[in-house]
Amino acid sequence: MIRFEKVTKRYPGPGRPALDQVTLDIDKGEFVYLVGTSGSGKSTALRLVLREVRPTTGRVHVAGKEINRMAGWKVPRLRREIGTVFQDFRLLPNKTVAENVAFAQQVIGKSRREIAKVVPETLELVGLKDKGDRMPDELSGGEQQRVAIARAFVNRPMILIADEPTGNLDPATSVGIMNLLGDINETGTTVVMATHDHGIVDQFTKRVIELDHGKVVRDEASGSYGFQH
Amino acid sequence: MQLRYVFTELRTGLRRNLSMHLAVILTLFVSLSLAGIGILVQREATVARDSLGDELKILVNLCTDDDPSHSPNCASGEVTADQQQRIEKEIQDNDEVRSFAYQSKEEGFEKAKETLPESSYTGPDPIVTAEGWPAAYWVTLKTPERADGIISALEGLDGVSGIKDQRKALGQIFGIMTVLKYGSWIGAGFLLFAALLQVTNTIRLAALARRREIAIMRLVGASTLYIALPFLLESLVAAIVGVALAAGVLAAFQYWGVEQALSDHVSFLPWVDWTDYTQALFGLFPPGIVLLGPALTLIPTLLLTRKYVKV
Repeated sequence: MIRFEKVTKRYPGPGRPALDQVTLDIDKGEFVYLVGTSGSGKSTALRLVLREVRPTTGRVHVAGKEINRMAGWKVPRLRREIGTVFQDFRLLPNKTVAENVAFAQQVIGKSRREIAKVVPETLELVGLKDKGDRMPDELSGGEQQRVAIARAFVNRPMILIADEPTGNLDPATSVGIMNLLGDINETGTTVVMATHDHGIVDQFTKRVIELDHGKVVRDEASGSYGFQH
Repeated sequence: MQLRYVFTELRTGLRRNLSMHLAVILTLFVSLSLAGIGILVQREATVARDSLGDELKILVNLCTDDDPSHSPNCASGEVTADQQQRIEKEIQDNDEVRSFAYQSKEEGFEKAKETLPESSYTGPDPIVTAEGWPAAYWVTLKTPERADGIISALEGLDGVSGIKDQRKALGQIFGIMTVLKYGSWIGAGFLLFAALLQVTNTIRLAALARRREIAIMRLVGASTLYIALPFLLESLVAAIVGVALAAGVLAAFQYWGVEQALSDHVSFLPWVDWTDYTQALFGLFPPGIVLLGPALTLIPTLLLTRKYVKV
Protein backbone atom coordinates (compact mmCIF):
# COMPACT_ATOMS: atom_id res chain seq x y z
CA MET A 1 0.00 0.00 0.00
CA ILE A 2 2.89 2.37 0.86
CA ARG A 3 6.42 1.71 -0.33
CA PHE A 4 9.51 3.87 0.08
CA GLU A 5 12.51 2.88 -2.05
CA LYS A 6 15.75 4.47 -0.89
CA VAL A 7 13.97 7.73 -0.25
CA THR A 8 16.03 10.77 0.64
CA LYS A 9 14.44 14.13 1.30
CA ARG A 10 16.63 17.15 1.64
CA TYR A 11 15.07 20.56 2.32
CA PRO A 12 16.81 23.70 1.04
CA GLY A 13 19.63 24.92 3.26
CA PRO A 14 22.56 23.24 4.97
CA GLY A 15 22.34 20.28 7.32
CA ARG A 16 21.55 16.61 7.11
CA PRO A 17 18.57 15.35 5.08
CA ALA A 18 15.19 14.97 6.78
CA LEU A 19 15.02 11.42 5.44
CA ASP A 20 18.11 9.49 4.44
CA GLN A 21 17.89 6.43 2.16
CA VAL A 22 14.69 5.17 3.78
CA THR A 23 13.24 1.92 2.47
CA LEU A 24 10.04 0.56 3.94
CA ASP A 25 6.94 -1.34 2.94
CA ILE A 26 3.49 -1.08 4.53
CA ASP A 27 0.89 -3.59 3.37
CA LYS A 28 -2.82 -3.11 2.87
CA GLY A 29 -4.74 -3.29 6.16
CA GLU A 30 -1.68 -2.86 8.40
CA PHE A 31 -1.59 -0.61 11.48
CA VAL A 32 1.82 1.01 11.84
CA TYR A 33 3.24 3.36 14.46
CA LEU A 34 5.89 5.76 13.26
CA VAL A 35 7.96 6.74 16.30
CA GLY A 36 11.03 8.83 16.86
CA THR A 37 12.16 12.08 18.46
CA SER A 38 11.19 15.47 17.07
CA GLY A 39 13.12 16.06 13.85
CA SER A 40 13.59 12.33 13.23
CA GLY A 41 11.70 12.57 9.92
CA LYS A 42 8.21 11.29 10.86
CA SER A 43 6.33 14.31 9.52
CA THR A 44 8.40 14.37 6.33
CA ALA A 45 7.53 10.70 5.74
CA LEU A 46 3.81 11.51 6.11
CA ARG A 47 4.09 14.56 3.86
CA LEU A 48 5.77 12.40 1.22
CA VAL A 49 2.86 9.96 1.32
CA LEU A 50 0.41 12.87 0.83
CA ARG A 51 2.60 14.22 -2.00
CA GLU A 52 2.86 17.53 -0.16
CA VAL A 53 6.59 17.26 -0.85
CA ARG A 54 8.56 15.19 -3.34
CA PRO A 55 11.60 13.07 -2.50
CA THR A 56 15.00 14.41 -3.48
CA THR A 57 15.97 10.91 -4.58
CA GLY A 58 14.30 7.53 -4.41
CA ARG A 59 10.73 6.47 -5.14
CA VAL A 60 7.47 6.64 -3.19
CA HIS A 61 4.57 4.34 -4.11
CA VAL A 62 1.12 4.93 -2.63
CA ALA A 63 -1.95 2.82 -3.42
CA GLY A 64 -0.15 1.20 -6.33
CA LYS A 65 1.03 4.44 -7.92
CA GLU A 66 4.49 5.90 -8.06
CA ILE A 67 3.78 9.41 -6.92
CA ASN A 68 7.16 11.14 -7.40
CA ARG A 69 6.44 12.21 -10.93
CA MET A 70 2.66 12.27 -10.67
CA ALA A 71 1.22 15.26 -12.54
CA GLY A 72 -0.14 18.01 -10.27
CA TRP A 73 -3.70 17.59 -11.48
CA LYS A 74 -3.70 13.94 -10.42
CA VAL A 75 -2.70 14.69 -6.83
CA PRO A 76 -6.25 15.53 -5.61
CA ARG A 77 -7.40 12.09 -6.78
CA LEU A 78 -4.56 10.45 -4.83
CA ARG A 79 -5.52 12.38 -1.69
CA ARG A 80 -9.07 11.08 -1.91
CA GLU A 81 -7.56 7.69 -1.12
CA ILE A 82 -5.93 9.06 2.03
CA GLY A 83 -7.62 10.39 5.17
CA THR A 84 -5.62 12.65 7.46
CA VAL A 85 -5.98 13.38 11.19
CA PHE A 86 -3.92 15.94 13.11
CA GLN A 87 -3.06 16.63 16.71
CA ASP A 88 -4.89 19.98 16.60
CA PHE A 89 -8.08 18.56 14.97
CA ARG A 90 -8.29 21.36 12.35
CA LEU A 91 -12.07 21.64 12.38
CA LEU A 92 -13.90 24.57 10.80
CA PRO A 93 -15.22 26.57 13.78
CA ASN A 94 -18.16 28.13 11.87
CA LYS A 95 -19.61 24.78 10.79
CA THR A 96 -21.50 22.20 12.80
CA VAL A 97 -20.11 18.72 13.42
CA ALA A 98 -22.16 17.26 10.57
CA GLU A 99 -21.20 20.14 8.24
CA ASN A 100 -17.52 19.61 9.06
CA VAL A 101 -17.80 15.98 8.07
CA ALA A 102 -19.94 16.74 5.02
CA PHE A 103 -17.42 19.37 3.90
CA ALA A 104 -14.93 16.63 2.94
CA GLN A 105 -17.55 15.14 0.64
CA GLN A 106 -18.94 18.38 -0.76
CA VAL A 107 -15.60 19.64 -1.98
CA ILE A 108 -14.92 16.52 -4.00
CA GLY A 109 -18.32 16.73 -5.63
CA LYS A 110 -20.34 14.01 -3.88
CA SER A 111 -24.10 14.27 -4.37
CA ARG A 112 -26.37 15.66 -1.68
CA ARG A 113 -28.14 12.32 -1.43
CA GLU A 114 -24.89 10.47 -0.81
CA ILE A 115 -23.77 13.04 1.77
CA ALA A 116 -27.13 12.75 3.57
CA LYS A 117 -26.63 8.98 3.78
CA VAL A 118 -22.92 8.68 4.59
CA VAL A 119 -22.42 11.52 7.08
CA PRO A 120 -24.85 10.17 9.74
CA GLU A 121 -23.41 6.67 9.27
CA THR A 122 -19.90 7.96 9.84
CA LEU A 123 -20.93 10.03 12.85
CA GLU A 124 -22.49 6.90 14.32
CA LEU A 125 -19.29 4.96 13.66
CA VAL A 126 -17.23 7.51 15.63
CA GLY A 127 -19.80 7.64 18.45
CA LEU A 128 -21.21 11.10 17.75
CA LYS A 129 -24.59 10.07 16.43
CA ASP A 130 -26.51 12.69 18.41
CA LYS A 131 -24.01 15.53 18.15
CA GLY A 132 -24.23 16.39 14.47
CA ASP A 133 -25.82 19.77 15.16
CA ARG A 134 -23.28 20.87 17.75
CA MET A 135 -20.55 23.42 17.01
CA PRO A 136 -16.96 22.20 17.49
CA ASP A 137 -16.34 24.52 20.47
CA GLU A 138 -19.21 22.83 22.32
CA LEU A 139 -17.35 19.50 22.26
CA SER A 140 -14.56 18.04 24.39
CA GLY A 141 -11.09 17.49 22.90
CA GLY A 142 -11.74 13.78 22.45
CA GLU A 143 -15.03 14.46 20.70
CA GLN A 144 -13.40 17.03 18.43
CA GLN A 145 -10.79 14.45 17.47
CA ARG A 146 -13.60 12.01 16.71
CA VAL A 147 -15.12 14.60 14.36
CA ALA A 148 -11.74 14.97 12.67
CA ILE A 149 -11.51 11.18 12.29
CA ALA A 150 -15.04 11.08 10.89
CA ARG A 151 -14.06 13.75 8.35
CA ALA A 152 -10.92 11.78 7.41
CA PHE A 153 -12.86 8.53 7.08
CA VAL A 154 -16.09 9.76 5.49
CA ASN A 155 -14.78 9.18 1.96
CA ARG A 156 -13.72 5.64 2.98
CA PRO A 157 -10.03 6.12 2.12
CA MET A 158 -7.64 3.19 1.67
CA ILE A 159 -5.09 4.83 3.98
CA LEU A 160 -5.58 6.83 7.19
CA ILE A 161 -2.68 8.99 8.28
CA ALA A 162 -2.76 10.19 11.86
CA ASP A 163 -0.14 12.71 12.99
CA GLU A 164 -0.03 12.65 16.81
CA PRO A 165 -3.80 12.11 17.11
CA THR A 166 -3.64 11.68 20.88
CA GLY A 167 -1.10 14.45 21.45
CA ASN A 168 -3.67 16.86 22.94
CA LEU A 169 -5.76 14.30 24.80
CA ASP A 170 -5.73 12.79 28.29
CA PRO A 171 -4.86 9.08 28.57
CA ALA A 172 -8.48 7.88 29.01
CA THR A 173 -9.67 9.83 25.97
CA SER A 174 -6.65 8.63 24.02
CA VAL A 175 -7.70 5.04 24.61
CA GLY A 176 -11.11 5.81 23.10
CA ILE A 177 -9.46 7.35 20.03
CA MET A 178 -7.16 4.33 19.67
CA ASN A 179 -10.14 1.98 19.84
CA LEU A 180 -11.78 4.01 17.09
CA LEU A 181 -8.65 3.91 14.91
CA GLY A 182 -8.53 0.15 15.58
CA ASP A 183 -12.14 -0.20 14.40
CA ILE A 184 -11.31 1.73 11.22
CA ASN A 185 -8.26 -0.49 10.67
CA GLU A 186 -10.51 -3.54 10.95
CA THR A 187 -12.52 -2.34 7.97
CA GLY A 188 -9.37 -2.90 5.90
CA THR A 189 -8.05 0.66 6.00
CA THR A 190 -4.29 0.95 6.38
CA VAL A 191 -3.47 3.17 9.38
CA VAL A 192 -0.13 4.98 9.75
CA MET A 193 0.16 6.85 13.02
CA ALA A 194 3.06 9.10 13.97
CA THR A 195 3.20 9.39 17.75
CA HIS A 196 5.19 10.31 20.82
CA ASP A 197 2.69 8.57 23.11
CA HIS A 198 4.66 5.62 24.47
CA GLY A 199 1.79 4.56 26.75
CA ILE A 200 -0.44 4.06 23.73
CA VAL A 201 2.23 2.27 21.67
CA ASP A 202 2.96 -0.10 24.50
CA GLN A 203 -0.71 -0.72 25.31
CA PHE A 204 -2.00 -1.22 21.75
CA THR A 205 0.74 -3.36 20.34
CA LYS A 206 1.22 -3.00 16.59
CA ARG A 207 4.05 -2.78 14.08
CA VAL A 208 6.54 -0.05 15.08
CA ILE A 209 8.89 1.77 12.70
CA GLU A 210 11.39 3.95 14.52
CA LEU A 211 13.11 6.80 12.75
CA ASP A 212 16.24 8.51 14.02
CA HIS A 213 18.02 11.33 12.19
CA GLY A 214 16.13 10.45 9.04
CA LYS A 215 16.99 6.73 9.04
CA VAL A 216 14.92 3.68 9.92
CA VAL A 217 16.63 2.27 13.00
CA ARG A 218 13.97 -0.26 14.02
CA ASP A 219 11.09 -2.03 12.32
CA GLU A 220 9.31 -4.54 14.57
CA ALA A 221 6.16 -6.41 13.62
CA SER A 222 4.85 -6.21 17.17
CA GLY A 223 6.95 -3.62 18.92
CA SER A 224 6.99 -1.28 21.87
CA TYR A 225 7.78 2.42 22.05
CA GLY A 226 11.28 1.41 22.98
CA PHE A 227 13.08 4.65 23.78
CA GLN A 228 12.84 7.57 26.14
CA HIS A 229 12.54 11.09 24.82
CA MET B 1 -19.02 19.46 -8.84
CA GLN B 2 -21.30 20.89 -6.19
CA LEU B 3 -22.03 24.39 -7.37
CA ARG B 4 -24.18 25.09 -4.34
CA TYR B 5 -21.05 25.12 -2.19
CA VAL B 6 -19.23 27.34 -4.66
CA PHE B 7 -22.04 29.89 -4.69
CA THR B 8 -22.38 29.83 -0.90
CA GLU B 9 -18.65 30.50 -0.67
CA LEU B 10 -18.98 33.25 -3.27
CA ARG B 11 -21.71 34.96 -1.24
CA THR B 12 -19.73 34.64 1.98
CA GLY B 13 -16.57 35.90 0.27
CA LEU B 14 -18.28 38.93 -1.22
CA ARG B 15 -19.84 39.81 2.14
CA ARG B 16 -16.67 39.24 4.11
CA ASN B 17 -14.51 41.38 1.84
CA LEU B 18 -17.18 43.92 0.93
CA SER B 19 -15.07 47.06 1.43
CA MET B 20 -12.19 45.63 -0.61
CA HIS B 21 -14.54 44.55 -3.39
CA LEU B 22 -16.14 48.01 -3.43
CA ALA B 23 -12.70 49.57 -3.75
CA VAL B 24 -11.88 47.26 -6.68
CA ILE B 25 -15.22 47.99 -8.34
CA LEU B 26 -14.87 51.77 -7.99
CA THR B 27 -11.30 51.82 -9.27
CA LEU B 28 -12.23 49.54 -12.16
CA PHE B 29 -15.27 51.67 -12.92
CA VAL B 30 -13.31 54.94 -13.13
CA SER B 31 -10.35 53.42 -14.99
CA LEU B 32 -12.52 51.58 -17.51
CA SER B 33 -14.59 54.73 -18.08
CA LEU B 34 -11.40 56.63 -18.86
CA ALA B 35 -10.13 53.84 -21.09
CA GLY B 36 -13.49 53.81 -22.89
CA ILE B 37 -13.40 57.57 -23.40
CA GLY B 38 -9.87 57.17 -24.78
CA ILE B 39 -11.19 54.61 -27.27
CA LEU B 40 -14.09 56.88 -28.25
CA VAL B 41 -11.71 59.81 -28.83
CA GLN B 42 -9.53 57.57 -30.97
CA ARG B 43 -12.60 56.51 -32.94
CA GLU B 44 -13.59 60.17 -33.26
CA ALA B 45 -10.19 60.97 -34.75
CA THR B 46 -10.67 58.13 -37.27
CA VAL B 47 -14.18 59.29 -38.16
CA ALA B 48 -12.98 62.88 -38.59
CA ARG B 49 -10.01 61.80 -40.71
CA ASP B 50 -12.19 59.63 -42.93
CA SER B 51 -14.47 62.55 -43.59
CA LEU B 52 -12.13 65.51 -43.67
CA GLY B 53 -8.79 64.00 -44.52
CA ASP B 54 -5.95 64.00 -42.09
CA GLU B 55 -3.59 66.77 -41.19
CA LEU B 56 -1.10 65.77 -43.89
CA LYS B 57 -3.55 66.57 -46.67
CA ILE B 58 -4.31 69.73 -48.59
CA LEU B 59 -7.43 70.18 -50.66
CA VAL B 60 -7.10 71.80 -54.11
CA ASN B 61 -10.51 73.02 -55.23
CA LEU B 62 -11.05 73.42 -58.95
CA CYS B 63 -13.05 76.24 -60.49
CA THR B 64 -16.79 75.89 -61.01
CA ASP B 65 -18.90 77.66 -63.56
CA ASP B 66 -19.84 80.53 -61.29
CA ASP B 67 -17.04 80.22 -58.80
CA PRO B 68 -17.80 81.91 -55.47
CA SER B 69 -14.12 82.65 -54.87
CA HIS B 70 -14.02 85.12 -57.77
CA SER B 71 -10.41 84.14 -58.16
CA PRO B 72 -8.67 85.40 -61.34
CA ASN B 73 -7.74 81.75 -61.94
CA CYS B 74 -11.42 81.09 -62.59
CA ALA B 75 -11.89 83.87 -65.16
CA SER B 76 -12.65 81.29 -67.84
CA GLY B 77 -15.37 79.66 -65.72
CA GLU B 78 -15.50 75.90 -65.16
CA VAL B 79 -12.07 74.26 -65.15
CA THR B 80 -11.20 72.93 -68.59
CA ALA B 81 -9.70 69.54 -69.37
CA ASP B 82 -6.40 71.23 -70.36
CA GLN B 83 -6.24 73.22 -67.16
CA GLN B 84 -7.00 70.12 -65.12
CA GLN B 85 -4.27 68.18 -66.91
CA ARG B 86 -1.71 70.89 -66.09
CA ILE B 87 -2.81 70.99 -62.47
CA GLU B 88 -2.58 67.22 -62.19
CA LYS B 89 0.87 67.17 -63.77
CA GLU B 90 2.07 69.88 -61.38
CA ILE B 91 0.90 67.81 -58.44
CA GLN B 92 2.36 64.62 -59.86
CA ASP B 93 5.80 66.15 -60.43
CA ASN B 94 6.10 67.88 -57.07
CA ASP B 95 8.52 66.12 -54.70
CA GLU B 96 6.63 67.25 -51.56
CA VAL B 97 3.69 65.09 -52.61
CA ARG B 98 3.32 61.52 -51.43
CA SER B 99 0.06 60.76 -53.26
CA PHE B 100 -3.06 62.45 -54.55
CA ALA B 101 -6.64 61.57 -55.39
CA TYR B 102 -9.23 63.21 -57.59
CA GLN B 103 -12.64 63.91 -56.04
CA SER B 104 -15.48 64.55 -58.46
CA LYS B 105 -18.21 67.13 -57.88
CA GLU B 106 -20.66 64.39 -56.92
CA GLU B 107 -18.26 62.69 -54.49
CA GLY B 108 -17.46 66.02 -52.84
CA PHE B 109 -21.13 66.90 -52.59
CA GLU B 110 -22.03 63.53 -51.02
CA LYS B 111 -19.28 63.92 -48.45
CA ALA B 112 -20.35 67.48 -47.67
CA LYS B 113 -23.91 66.37 -47.05
CA GLU B 114 -22.72 64.48 -43.94
CA THR B 115 -21.90 67.70 -42.13
CA LEU B 116 -24.17 70.29 -43.80
CA PRO B 117 -27.66 71.03 -42.44
CA GLU B 118 -30.25 69.16 -44.47
CA SER B 119 -32.11 72.34 -45.42
CA SER B 120 -29.08 73.59 -47.35
CA TYR B 121 -29.23 70.88 -50.02
CA THR B 122 -32.95 69.93 -50.09
CA GLY B 123 -36.06 71.75 -51.17
CA PRO B 124 -36.98 73.46 -54.45
CA ASP B 125 -34.11 75.94 -54.47
CA PRO B 126 -31.19 74.47 -52.50
CA ILE B 127 -28.16 76.62 -51.66
CA VAL B 128 -25.78 73.73 -52.23
CA THR B 129 -25.97 71.49 -55.31
CA ALA B 130 -23.72 68.87 -56.83
CA GLU B 131 -23.30 71.05 -59.89
CA GLY B 132 -22.13 74.01 -57.86
CA TRP B 133 -19.78 71.95 -55.73
CA PRO B 134 -16.15 72.09 -56.82
CA ALA B 135 -14.26 69.05 -58.06
CA ALA B 136 -11.00 68.77 -56.16
CA TYR B 137 -7.67 67.04 -55.61
CA TRP B 138 -6.78 65.63 -52.20
CA VAL B 139 -3.03 65.91 -51.97
CA THR B 140 -1.19 63.91 -49.30
CA LEU B 141 2.15 65.40 -48.32
CA LYS B 142 5.30 63.56 -47.38
CA THR B 143 5.74 65.71 -44.28
CA PRO B 144 3.19 68.15 -42.86
CA GLU B 145 5.87 70.83 -42.33
CA ARG B 146 6.70 71.04 -46.05
CA ALA B 147 3.75 72.26 -48.09
CA ASP B 148 4.79 75.75 -49.16
CA GLY B 149 6.29 74.57 -52.47
CA ILE B 150 3.19 72.79 -53.69
CA ILE B 151 0.87 75.53 -52.45
CA SER B 152 2.78 78.29 -54.24
CA ALA B 153 3.09 76.16 -57.40
CA LEU B 154 -0.63 75.54 -57.56
CA GLU B 155 -2.23 78.74 -56.33
CA GLY B 156 -1.37 80.69 -59.48
CA LEU B 157 -2.56 78.03 -61.93
CA ASP B 158 -5.65 78.62 -64.04
CA GLY B 159 -8.52 76.42 -62.98
CA VAL B 160 -7.51 76.40 -59.28
CA SER B 161 -10.21 78.13 -57.29
CA GLY B 162 -8.50 77.83 -53.96
CA ILE B 163 -6.35 75.67 -51.73
CA LYS B 164 -7.50 74.57 -48.31
CA ASP B 165 -4.63 73.74 -46.06
CA GLN B 166 -6.11 71.10 -43.77
CA ARG B 167 -3.07 71.28 -41.54
CA LYS B 168 -4.16 74.58 -40.03
CA ALA B 169 -7.78 73.76 -39.26
CA LEU B 170 -7.49 70.08 -38.49
CA GLY B 171 -4.03 70.10 -36.99
CA GLN B 172 -5.37 71.81 -33.87
CA ILE B 173 -8.37 69.51 -33.57
CA PHE B 174 -6.29 66.40 -34.03
CA GLY B 175 -3.78 67.82 -31.57
CA ILE B 176 -6.50 68.20 -28.95
CA MET B 177 -7.79 64.70 -29.70
CA THR B 178 -4.32 63.22 -29.36
CA VAL B 179 -3.85 64.92 -25.99
CA LEU B 180 -7.30 63.75 -24.86
CA LYS B 181 -6.71 60.19 -26.06
CA TYR B 182 -3.32 59.76 -24.48
CA GLY B 183 -4.38 61.71 -21.39
CA SER B 184 -7.30 59.38 -20.75
CA TRP B 185 -5.21 56.32 -21.53
CA ILE B 186 -2.43 57.38 -19.19
CA GLY B 187 -5.00 58.11 -16.47
CA ALA B 188 -6.69 54.80 -17.17
CA GLY B 189 -3.31 53.03 -17.10
CA PHE B 190 -2.47 54.34 -13.60
CA LEU B 191 -5.91 53.52 -12.28
CA LEU B 192 -5.91 50.07 -13.87
CA PHE B 193 -2.58 49.42 -12.20
CA ALA B 194 -4.18 50.50 -8.90
CA ALA B 195 -7.08 48.14 -9.62
CA LEU B 196 -4.61 45.34 -10.28
CA LEU B 197 -2.93 45.93 -6.91
CA GLN B 198 -6.30 46.03 -5.18
CA VAL B 199 -7.31 42.76 -6.78
CA THR B 200 -4.11 41.09 -5.56
CA ASN B 201 -4.66 42.48 -2.05
CA THR B 202 -8.26 41.29 -2.04
CA ILE B 203 -7.28 37.80 -3.11
CA ARG B 204 -4.51 37.70 -0.54
CA LEU B 205 -6.97 38.67 2.21
CA ALA B 206 -9.59 36.23 0.95
CA ALA B 207 -7.04 33.41 0.86
CA LEU B 208 -5.97 34.31 4.40
CA ALA B 209 -9.56 34.30 5.63
CA ARG B 210 -10.14 30.90 4.02
CA ARG B 211 -6.82 29.31 4.86
CA ARG B 212 -8.37 26.63 7.11
CA GLU B 213 -10.92 25.65 4.48
CA ILE B 214 -8.28 25.66 1.76
CA ALA B 215 -5.94 23.46 3.82
CA ILE B 216 -8.73 20.94 4.42
CA MET B 217 -9.88 21.04 0.81
CA ARG B 218 -6.34 20.26 -0.37
CA LEU B 219 -6.04 17.41 2.10
CA VAL B 220 -9.30 15.72 1.19
CA GLY B 221 -8.54 15.97 -2.52
CA ALA B 222 -10.55 18.92 -3.86
CA SER B 223 -9.29 19.92 -7.29
CA THR B 224 -7.38 23.17 -7.74
CA LEU B 225 -10.16 24.54 -9.91
CA TYR B 226 -12.74 23.80 -7.24
CA ILE B 227 -10.64 25.57 -4.61
CA ALA B 228 -9.95 28.51 -6.92
CA LEU B 229 -13.49 28.88 -8.25
CA PRO B 230 -14.91 31.07 -5.44
CA PHE B 231 -11.92 33.44 -5.84
CA LEU B 232 -12.35 33.60 -9.60
CA LEU B 233 -16.08 34.20 -9.28
CA GLU B 234 -15.53 36.98 -6.71
CA SER B 235 -13.18 38.71 -9.14
CA LEU B 236 -15.58 38.16 -11.99
CA VAL B 237 -18.47 39.71 -10.05
CA ALA B 238 -16.32 42.77 -9.26
CA ALA B 239 -15.32 43.00 -12.94
CA ILE B 240 -18.90 42.68 -14.19
CA VAL B 241 -20.14 45.43 -11.85
CA GLY B 242 -17.18 47.67 -12.76
CA VAL B 243 -17.71 47.11 -16.49
CA ALA B 244 -21.48 47.69 -16.22
CA LEU B 245 -20.97 51.00 -14.41
CA ALA B 246 -18.35 52.13 -16.92
CA ALA B 247 -20.58 51.08 -19.84
CA GLY B 248 -23.35 53.20 -18.28
CA VAL B 249 -21.10 56.22 -17.97
CA LEU B 250 -19.91 55.82 -21.57
CA ALA B 251 -23.50 55.49 -22.78
CA ALA B 252 -24.39 58.67 -20.88
CA PHE B 253 -21.34 60.40 -22.38
CA GLN B 254 -22.35 59.25 -25.86
CA TYR B 255 -25.98 60.32 -25.47
CA TRP B 256 -25.81 63.57 -23.50
CA GLY B 257 -22.25 64.55 -24.32
CA VAL B 258 -21.90 63.68 -27.99
CA GLU B 259 -25.40 63.39 -29.43
CA GLN B 260 -27.18 66.06 -27.42
CA ALA B 261 -24.37 68.61 -27.04
CA LEU B 262 -21.23 68.26 -29.18
CA SER B 263 -22.82 67.27 -32.48
CA ASP B 264 -25.20 70.26 -32.24
CA HIS B 265 -22.57 72.82 -31.31
CA VAL B 266 -19.70 71.54 -33.45
CA SER B 267 -21.56 70.53 -36.56
CA PHE B 268 -18.69 70.74 -39.07
CA LEU B 269 -17.24 67.54 -37.61
CA PRO B 270 -18.88 64.13 -37.94
CA TRP B 271 -19.18 62.51 -34.48
CA VAL B 272 -18.83 59.02 -33.07
CA ASP B 273 -22.09 57.06 -32.98
CA TRP B 274 -23.41 53.97 -31.20
CA THR B 275 -21.34 51.67 -33.44
CA ASP B 276 -18.25 53.33 -32.02
CA TYR B 277 -19.70 52.97 -28.52
CA THR B 278 -20.10 49.22 -29.17
CA GLN B 279 -16.48 49.17 -30.34
CA ALA B 280 -15.37 50.83 -27.08
CA LEU B 281 -17.18 48.05 -25.22
CA PHE B 282 -16.46 44.95 -27.27
CA GLY B 283 -13.56 45.89 -29.55
CA LEU B 284 -10.47 43.71 -29.78
CA PHE B 285 -7.89 46.32 -30.71
CA PRO B 286 -7.65 48.41 -28.68
CA PRO B 287 -9.36 46.02 -26.25
CA GLY B 288 -12.82 47.17 -25.23
CA ILE B 289 -13.75 47.51 -21.59
CA VAL B 290 -15.75 44.26 -21.62
CA LEU B 291 -12.49 42.42 -22.33
CA LEU B 292 -10.27 44.67 -20.26
CA GLY B 293 -12.25 44.50 -17.00
CA PRO B 294 -12.43 40.72 -16.58
CA ALA B 295 -8.87 40.26 -17.91
CA LEU B 296 -7.54 42.67 -15.30
CA THR B 297 -9.22 40.88 -12.45
CA LEU B 298 -9.15 37.26 -13.59
CA ILE B 299 -5.52 37.03 -14.72
CA PRO B 300 -4.02 38.18 -11.39
CA THR B 301 -6.57 36.05 -9.54
CA LEU B 302 -5.55 32.98 -11.54
CA LEU B 303 -1.87 33.65 -10.94
CA LEU B 304 -2.32 34.31 -7.22
CA THR B 305 -4.68 31.43 -6.55
CA ARG B 306 -2.20 29.11 -8.24
CA LYS B 307 0.24 30.27 -5.59
CA TYR B 308 -2.11 30.14 -2.60
CA VAL B 309 -4.12 27.04 -3.38
CA LYS B 310 -1.38 25.00 -4.97
CA VAL B 311 -2.00 21.29 -4.25
